[in-house]
Amino acid sequence: MGVVTDILFIALATALINNLVLTYFLGICPFLGVSRRIDTAFGMGCAVTFVITMSGTVTWLISHFALVKGSPLVEAINRLAGAQVPDLLFLQYIIFIFVIAGMVQLVEMYVRRFAPALYRALGVYLPLITTNCAILFVCLTIAREARLTESFLAALVYSFFAGIGFTLAIVLMAGIREQLETADVPAPLRGPAITLITAGLMALAFMGFKGMAG
Amino acid sequence: MGLTIGLAIVVMLALAGVFALLLGWANARWQVEVPLQLRQLQDAMPGANCGGCGYVGCAEYAEAVFKGQAPPDKCPVGGAAVAQRIAEIMGVELGQTLPYRPVIHCAADYDARLKRAPYRGEPTCVSANLVAGVQGCTYGCLGLADCFEACDFDAIEMVNGLPRIHYEKCTGCGACAKACPRNIISMVPFKAERMLVVACSNHDPGRVVRQVCTVGCIGCGICAKLNDLFNVTDGLAGIDYDRYDPQMDFGPVLEKCPRQALIYVGKPSEKDLAAVAGEKLPGRIEADFKTTVDKTQFRG
Repeated sequence: MGVVTDILFIALATALINNLVLTYFLGICPFLGVSRRIDTAFGMGCAVTFVITMSGTVTWLISHFALVKGSPLVEAINRLAGAQVPDLLFLQYIIFIFVIAGMVQLVEMYVRRFAPALYRALGVYLPLITTNCAILFVCLTIAREARLTESFLAALVYSFFAGIGFTLAIVLMAGIREQLETADVPAPLRGPAITLITAGLMALAFMGFKGMAG
Repeated sequence: MGLTIGLAIVVMLALAGVFALLLGWANARWQVEVPLQLRQLQDAMPGANCGGCGYVGCAEYAEAVFKGQAPPDKCPVGGAAVAQRIAEIMGVELGQTLPYRPVIHCAADYDARLKRAPYRGEPTCVSANLVAGVQGCTYGCLGLADCFEACDFDAIEMVNGLPRIHYEKCTGCGACAKACPRNIISMVPFKAERMLVVACSNHDPGRVVRQVCTVGCIGCGICAKLNDLFNVTDGLAGIDYDRYDPQMDFGPVLEKCPRQALIYVGKPSEKDLAAVAGEKLPGRIEADFKTTVDKTQFRG
């Protein structure tokens, strides 16, 4: 396959077919927590997309140049100390978490400075992006799958479209919930119940993409 | 093993250094400037977040004052002290501010209310107010303690079906005035510790008032004839608090009022305190269900 088809394939497969929220059920906390209004949900989606893209690419760079077997840092250490260290992959998790936390800090400062209204609307969910499992999942997938570890472009596209998939899911959810506000929901199902049922139905709908590709 | 641990430490420290530089730069670049004045204003607020000023919370009010959209004397909880402090911070002149306190324009306790019918519904004034015939007077206090429930400062006590305000606890937030479905609580500027108020809200003609209440104002106009501070509009006496002067001699008016509907409220005088010294006043009066007409079990 050519590079363009490759990228399109990864983008489609990540955003729709293997949607983080609706297929893997990752990042459910912000998905339910800030999907009350479309503009807030979109802001959250953008923040998460930024953090996922930055974390994905930065961890790819760190892995590639410092952690995996045969990377420049490992080679240099082996040259200096004799061949003793096969790789530094045992540092993977802690470094990934470290990078994610740093990126969230960056986003928080940026949002606070340039979008105070969004900062107030997101509230505690903004720092909570740090603990959003979707982001660590993306970093770990990039480190695990061969087609992503080999190509920086593939990792960039994968992480960006993972974020786009999250944004899509949360904005769709917010749209539905805005309509639900005025709907005549049966009393026992009001509130969280109908929200979870909606999320389940959306996940079912997204299963329709299964089998289209990867 | 030692090498591995050393490597881990070195790598993490290097990463930490890089991130510290990056975040430090970002922090310096995108610092949010909170003006000193605004921070001082936020510190000066009492932090009760009661909403008495008309803003969502103390922080919102501080912001509004900072932007010049709100006057400095809107905080009822902080009163004159906070208003003074805000005026100092903002560098503006503070006009004379008076503490606004609620007064109850009804003096009819259970015994004074005539033609009272048993009410077995939801024990709140709001619901009782929807039903006709709960009591003869359609203006007066229902005695089901909505104002008592609304008070966040524990300043209202129900005594024989009538709310009594403890002015030493009251902050003047106005929650009780908003809660009263019959609008008989109004906020009055307290120019002295004890204020004269008209303890009635009934606009009906005197004959009708006499049928439903033993203490209500009949709109005879004697007070207005004796002192031009008083006026009688729509069958009810009123006091012009803009011209009210605590030094005025209200003796003749109080003496001549045939219904004794003019009462002093506020800090109790020595004489009042002495009069109730030995009595044990009830905490809260519950609605009285003993007058139920039929004996059937009430459901629903």
